[in-house]
Amino acid sequence: MRDKVLGLSAHDQTSLLRLAILGLISVVAIGSRLYSVIRFESIIHEFDPWFNYRTTRYLVDNGFDKFWNWFDETAWYPLGRVVGGTLYPGIMVTSATIYNGLRLLNIPVDIRNVCVFLAPVFSALTAIATYQLGKEVKDATAGLLAAAFIGIAPGYISRSVAGSYDNEGIAIFLLVFTFFLWLRSVRLGSAMYGALTAVFYFYMVSAWGGYVFIINLIPLHVFALLAMGRYSNRLYVAYSTFYVLGTLASMQIPFVGFQPTFTSEHMAALGTFGLVQLVAFTYYVRTVASQQHFQLLVRFALLILFVLGVAVLVLLTMRGVIAPWTGRFYSLWDTGYAKIHIPIIASVSEHQPTAWPNFFFDLNLLIWLFPAGIYFSFRELTDNHVFLILYSIFAAYFSGVMVRLILTLTPIVCVMAGIAMANVFETYLDFRKAAPAELEAHDAPPSATGSMKRYYTYFPKIAVMVNFMYFLFMFQWHCSWITSSAYSSPSVVLASRGPDGSHHIIDDFREAYYWLRKNTEPSAKVLSWWDYGYQLAGMADRTTLVDNNTWNNTHIATVGKIMASDEDTAYELARRHDVDYVLVIFGGMLGYSGDDINKFLWMIRIAQGVYPDDVNEQSFFNREGQYAIGDDASAAMKNSLMHKLCYYRFGDVMGPKGFDRVRKQRLPTSVELDNFEEAYTTENWMVRIYKVKELDSLGRTHHAVAKLKGPRAAAHIPF
Amino acid sequence: MRLGALLRTWLAFSSICLPSASARSVTGDRLLVLVPAVEAAIHDYSIFLDSLKRRGFEVSIRDAANSSIVLHIDGDRLYDHVALLAPAAKRFGAALSIHDFIHFVNTGGNMIVAASAALSDFHRRLAAQFGVEFDKHGTAVIDHSHYLSSKVSSNHTIVAASRLSHIPAVLSPPLLADEHPTIYFEGIAHNYDSQIPLLAPLLTGSRSTYSGSSVAVDRPSLKSTQAQLSGRSLGLVSIFQSRSNARVVFSGSSALFSDALVGAEHSTNGLFINDISQWAFQEKSVLREVDHRHRLASAAPSSLQPDHYRVSNVINYEIDLSVYYENKWHPYIADDVQFEATMLDPYLRLTLNRTQVPKSATVATYHGDIKLPDRYGTFTFSVNYKRAGFSSINVHDTVAIWPLRHDEYPRFLSAAYPYYAGSFVMVAGFLALCAAWLWNTGPTSKSSKPKSS
Repeated sequence: MRDKVLGLSAHDQTSLLRLAILGLISVVAIGSRLYSVIRFESIIHEFDPWFNYRTTRYLVDNGFDKFWNWFDETAWYPLGRVVGGTLYPGIMVTSATIYNGLRLLNIPVDIRNVCVFLAPVFSALTAIATYQLGKEVKDATAGLLAAAFIGIAPGYISRSVAGSYDNEGIAIFLLVFTFFLWLRSVRLGSAMYGALTAVFYFYMVSAWGGYVFIINLIPLHVFALLAMGRYSNRLYVAYSTFYVLGTLASMQIPFVGFQPTFTSEHMAALGTFGLVQLVAFTYYVRTVASQQHFQLLVRFALLILFVLGVAVLVLLTMRGVIAPWTGRFYSLWDTGYAKIHIPIIASVSEHQPTAWPNFFFDLNLLIWLFPAGIYFSFRELTDNHVFLILYSIFAAYFSGVMVRLILTLTPIVCVMAGIAMANVFETYLDFRKAAPAELEAHDAPPSATGSMKRYYTYFPKIAVMVNFMYFLFMFQWHCSWITSSAYSSPSVVLASRGPDGSHHIIDDFREAYYWLRKNTEPSAKVLSWWDYGYQLAGMADRTTLVDNNTWNNTHIATVGKIMASDEDTAYELARRHDVDYVLVIFGGMLGYSGDDINKFLWMIRIAQGVYPDDVNEQSFFNREGQYAIGDDASAAMKNSLMHKLCYYRFGDVMGPKGFDRVRKQRLPTSVELDNFEEAYTTENWMVRIYKVKELDSLGRTHHAVAKLKGPRAAAHIPF
Repeated sequence: MRLGALLRTWLAFSSICLPSASARSVTGDRLLVLVPAVEAAIHDYSIFLDSLKRRGFEVSIRDAANSSIVLHIDGDRLYDHVALLAPAAKRFGAALSIHDFIHFVNTGGNMIVAASAALSDFHRRLAAQFGVEFDKHGTAVIDHSHYLSSKVSSNHTIVAASRLSHIPAVLSPPLLADEHPTIYFEGIAHNYDSQIPLLAPLLTGSRSTYSGSSVAVDRPSLKSTQAQLSGRSLGLVSIFQSRSNARVVFSGSSALFSDALVGAEHSTNGLFINDISQWAFQEKSVLREVDHRHRLASAAPSSLQPDHYRVSNVINYEIDLSVYYENKWHPYIADDVQFEATMLDPYLRLTLNRTQVPKSATVATYHGDIKLPDRYGTFTFSVNYKRAGFSSINVHDTVAIWPLRHDEYPRFLSAAYPYYAGSFVMVAGFLALCAAWLWNTGPTSKSSKPKSS
């Protein structure tokens, strides 16, 4: 249309622009995730990433064969954990590959930095995948907008800042890219794209348990298309290729194993596969036989087959051949289920139902554009749009049930918002077919008023665009602010601001873990609540009893029971489990509310679920029904090991009228502790480590020993 | 004091060097005897003290009240053994506390604590820490049926005790063979805490023995309303072995060791005090584990100990045990040495067999070929051998049992043949179908058309 710029045609100019924009989006996506590295340091965040980091190191140090067969005897002591068979190895293998690739190029880089920066790099890839998806379902404009949105949407950033080395970091990219490939294979009916979908599905299976979402959503898409009478050979080719290859590939992951053949989560995919074959067969039969007869026949046959299939499924489930749905899955349907039946799931904050403000907090403007996108998808109902609508509905539902599933909602929200925004742009930025020209053709008014009318028709467009541009700027503003203030704390290191605005780094966790690493036997067993298991293994390198891989409820309940029991029972149990040290997190000095006393009720609940005779939640509330910790606390509370370990000698620091700064209550006046001795307490009293005493050489109880030695004689041991 | 200690150390050193005066105790030969008065004691306990010296002990006899007595200097023990023969002493040394004596035992020192009817509170409190509770002030052990007949007195407080616990590790064969040993005992009874596994009664009262007022039998004020100690529950001599294998003997009578009672007619006191002092001062029944090892049964005997096994491996476990008596180490012969593999619960518990060909003259080797449980996890392999009178042995290793490697599982299961057959039939069928499709060219040009549309 126009002249060449820089010797490029208009088409090439757009390509170059798109490339540049995508590149910039990638840079922004990576850049906005680096707050935590700049504020703190290049460190692995939170809890699960520590496990991933540790296993990655093991993989890098020992090679894939040993990693695959790794039995970790230092976790879940004494049960141990078959690590190779109970994890999704995708993220570790990815990091190790990148690490080895860089080494091959003679770029010496620390494996920790590979792990820290993996998620930001993959978020750039996610942006590109989202662009492809947007382009697939609408056009390049929608794609670019979607990519820009996903690059900075807090809902996704929350899981992919630098240092947040978790499965989701790469899984969202794989999710989006698998869906993109699937849509393309459906559109083209290409077996190659179907196979590619399967390959990326395999990668996804290897990376995150959320692959179940894919293996249910794609069959649902197929089923919906069949139900809408939109069967086509393209669909048949795409789904058959994907399902067969994808399932066989997914079974190669040891953690998944034979699950696709017998668990309920995978049955929908299998059923749909059978259904597609039947439908394909009937379509084929219809082409060779007379129509009226067979249509009738086919309809009845289909109905009977469907009913039979469901009946067989139900029967097999009831007979236990097909594994029943797991508890975590039930809690997706009934939000109250977990609280009653599986406290261990309900105790995790990210498994709580989502509060309304969370949607706005994580998605801001996008949540308003989301329904508009769905509306536009409905207006032009292609096979691809059916998929988008289904994805929207299900992701929206699940994100309402569990906070952390906002993560799976975010990509579709971005795509939908991209579509809606692209429609807005198309309509309001289109100045080509100027309205006045049409008017002139009809009414032929004087040219003086023509410019006026031109102004009138431009004005709403400009007004709307200014409005939307303002929203977009605000969106960007909001995203940056959220990212920097809410999602960029490593939670291993805390920061606080003094009243004079000074910046304090609170590094108690690493202080305590480092103390354990340097001052205890390498074979020492450390008991703590499961939240800190991965960090203990990763930073202190000591054996733990329970960790964040909450596979054994009984073992966790035992730890809960130890914490909730009186000192003597706890001592006996701790010795039985060969515990050397007990670690508790205590926030009373600093006002850190995520401490063990606040988590204590969950420990009690979980323990009560397994040991109802020994632990009773009600007995931990005082007579007024309050969860008190001071002198007015209930007897069970005051005698519990957790209470003693937290408040032992705390009064010495806080004075006789001391307060617990988290619970805003008076401290208990005296805390006696005989069976455990204080080994280490960190600077801000956040982590307290106690040593489990050896049995007395003369067979006395430790109470008797302490009584003989007199009050506080044993308490002041210099370390 | 420092000079004296140095001198003693030098003396001890020289006595070890001299071959003729070798120490017979395993843990050392520095013995401190605390008595009310040194001169009188040397006279009263000459037989006992001479036998100790003859056995190679370097005996220091000191006044209980001597303020220069200390048990530790700079955290090191000055003595290996202590005999308290001053039951009435209210304090020892300048300021030796109960803690010092407990610390002495905890650091491996052995003690003989002798009491009498006039027992100080210090002794009572010390004994209470070991689960031995001496009877009230003013009581004594009385037996109107068995008493020292040559010293007939109306209250019969020198009883002839004969009820010995059958502990071969402590008592020598002549005493065990003697059906009616006569051990003269004049002193106070004690109640032994049967809940403490470290404590065992060695000499208890017979059916007619009871603990009563030593002053006047019928004084009503001393008649307690509580049940009196009598018979079997009345402890006369008890033995205690701490978790660190230090040994303590509690005797309700200091006179038991005296020349007067040792030399009395029909007395077996001499044998008895010889046995208990030998036991207490680690001269016999000292059991030790020399070495232990485990390996895969299929591996060479000299191979290194692996850091983990796989489920259901067969392993070979060996432990070498020695026992000390008569001045040297001997192989320890028993048929009840048990091996245990536990992971919270015991998974295996089996008796080890003695290897007939000994590795050396001083050890007995026990071995077992053990099939590990079909369960992975961190197991504790332990030999926890505790027998009355013998030093306890508690050897444990934590060993991980790993699951099978991915390529170690059995292949070609017979139960799976239908599936193998199924897959091959599938392959054949697929090939046949392809062949039929490819070479059946004639009429298919029409029928394949709608398929492609």
